[in-house]
Amino acid sequence: MPILILAWKSLLNRRFTALLTLLSIAFSVTLLIGVERLRGEVREGFTNTVSGTDLIVGARSGPINLLLYAVFRIGNATNNISWESYQAIANLPKVAWTIPLALGDSHRGFRVLGTTATYFAHFRYSRDRGLALAQGEPFADLYDAVLGSEVARTLGYRLGDPIVIAHGTGDVSFARHTDKPFRVAGILAPTGTPVDRTVHVSLAAIEAIHVGWESGAAAPGRSPDAAQTRELAATGALTPKAITAVLVGLKSRIATFQVQRAVNDYPEEPLLAILPGVALADLWRLIGIGERALLAVSAAVVVVGLFGMLTALLTSLNERRREMAILRSVGARPAHVLALILGEAVFLTLVGALLGVALLYGVLLLGGPLITDRLGLVIGIGPPSPAEGLLLAAVVAAGVLVGLIAGYRAYRLSLSDGLLIRV
Amino acid sequence: MTAVPVTSPAPAAIAIRDLRFRWRADLPPVLVIDALDIQPGERIFIEGPSGSGKTTLLGLLSGVLPVSDGALTVLDQPLNRLSAVERDHFRADHVGYVFQMFNLIPYLSMLDNVTLPCRFSRRRRARALARGGSLNAEAVRLLAHLDLDDPGLRARPVTELSVGQQQRVAAARALIGAPEILIADEPTSALDADRRAGFVELLFRECREAGLTLVFVSHDASLEGLFDRTLRLAELNRAAA
Repeated sequence: MPILILAWKSLLNRRFTALLTLLSIAFSVTLLIGVERLRGEVREGFTNTVSGTDLIVGARSGPINLLLYAVFRIGNATNNISWESYQAIANLPKVAWTIPLALGDSHRGFRVLGTTATYFAHFRYSRDRGLALAQGEPFADLYDAVLGSEVARTLGYRLGDPIVIAHGTGDVSFARHTDKPFRVAGILAPTGTPVDRTVHVSLAAIEAIHVGWESGAAAPGRSPDAAQTRELAATGALTPKAITAVLVGLKSRIATFQVQRAVNDYPEEPLLAILPGVALADLWRLIGIGERALLAVSAAVVVVGLFGMLTALLTSLNERRREMAILRSVGARPAHVLALILGEAVFLTLVGALLGVALLYGVLLLGGPLITDRLGLVIGIGPPSPAEGLLLAAVVAAGVLVGLIAGYRAYRLSLSDGLLIRV
Repeated sequence: MTAVPVTSPAPAAIAIRDLRFRWRADLPPVLVIDALDIQPGERIFIEGPSGSGKTTLLGLLSGVLPVSDGALTVLDQPLNRLSAVERDHFRADHVGYVFQMFNLIPYLSMLDNVTLPCRFSRRRRARALARGGSLNAEAVRLLAHLDLDDPGLRARPVTELSVGQQQRVAAARALIGAPEILIADEPTSALDADRRAGFVELLFRECREAGLTLVFVSHDASLEGLFDRTLRLAELNRAAA
């Protein structure tokens, strides 16, 4: 196709504007495919905020409400579960393990979670990844705390630092448990889940800091000091009377609905058991609009990029009418003129798309570790997914459309101009 | 040459009978020519003021414009019966065209400009190859004939050539692959007065050598005497009257 050689030489002649068009397409494709990939990863990460847990049990409220406070540490439980009910659930024959959760206190804006060692053993997120300690150990002492990665990074804590827990969940609280400071025993590796924003202590510790605080504030003279509380703990007097929620792992998933029904029908107390996967998917449907909006915005960026190409092509047409009349005079058909413009548009779009994808892989290779470290998101550097392939195909199709629009205009011009040289 | 043989008329290079051209079916014709015959190898000077239909006639002869009515036969091809694509093919194969100015494609080298018609016509490509061995060799040969044999000149971007040099490159392009008809649309009007005759002489030499029919449009009457015949379009075109 000699006309394509001409198209190429003509493009080289206008290499500066061609390069700008190429880059604008490449960058917009990088953004589009990058957002698509990130979006899949975020959705995956979200619906896998909790994995391996078969049921989440709390006091009876709504599934989303329970999910919000038990998993995302957002809002408060309307009611607690009594320790006896928790024991009953833990002792159900089909239950393999339980993770009790006690919420209600905070540390400088981050939620404090009282739990047990089973949390570190059984909590799973993102397709069966367990919690790992970046530094230190799980809590051993009553006043040990294990920090989520974001807590440690934001507040600049290191192992051994003392921290004071505030009563209630506000960032600014006048009621601080200053009489019983904690020590940072461990810092967790990033997970990309709410775990990163949580301060973990033992269940007993939650009880301990509230000894003498039964009225909601430190009772003068009645609040024992830390040493006295440790002695209290040794006697087992710090077993909590109530917890906020329980994560339940079953011996077999087949029993899920059976256990769920058993919990929901528990006669002693109104309880609610939910399937985390289902509730997370429901919640995602609610907040996933943002992610789709993000994709829409990046698609709009591609459209803007292609409009730039259309503008560049149409602007060049007027300057190229002489070129077209000359080509017509040596025997080029109007269809050749269309091919000249279309070839340019297709070339720019194809190379722009390829360059954009290459750029994305470059960014992922260089920036991937940083994203994993900061956000806990692992963005795969695999080949483009079918959805990404479809997006790329749509971009190229739109480029062809732009080429056809500009090419048709050139075709009409060359028909009407004939061998007239207009300058 | 005085008596025209009735029995075996040599086929005319260009033959027009009752030709009409109108831009739209509902508009009056802008070009009406009852009869015109141009013999092969003839060098015709077409003279006419602006608006006399020169551009239209050249558009029809080169097959860019469609004939509205009547017969236009070029080299035995009835252009009035050919489709637009067939006429484009016909032009690529048989017509060399030289514009008034701005003949060259700025992003192509001098040689690429000259060999451009060979990209659109197999026939001219084959003929150029047969003559020169390679397209570039044939282009160099033609350029040398037109006094453009300086290799240093060939290396320069064509936009840096003088107007006279550009017109000669355009002539080489119109001549490559030996088309039968050469149409020149005021090719000398951008040249200095003392260069015009020289350019026309160059064209003549090449046309004579290749047996080309030359249709040369100009309003520079000083060149008229060099040609075999002069057509006054204002008289020929009844629509203009």
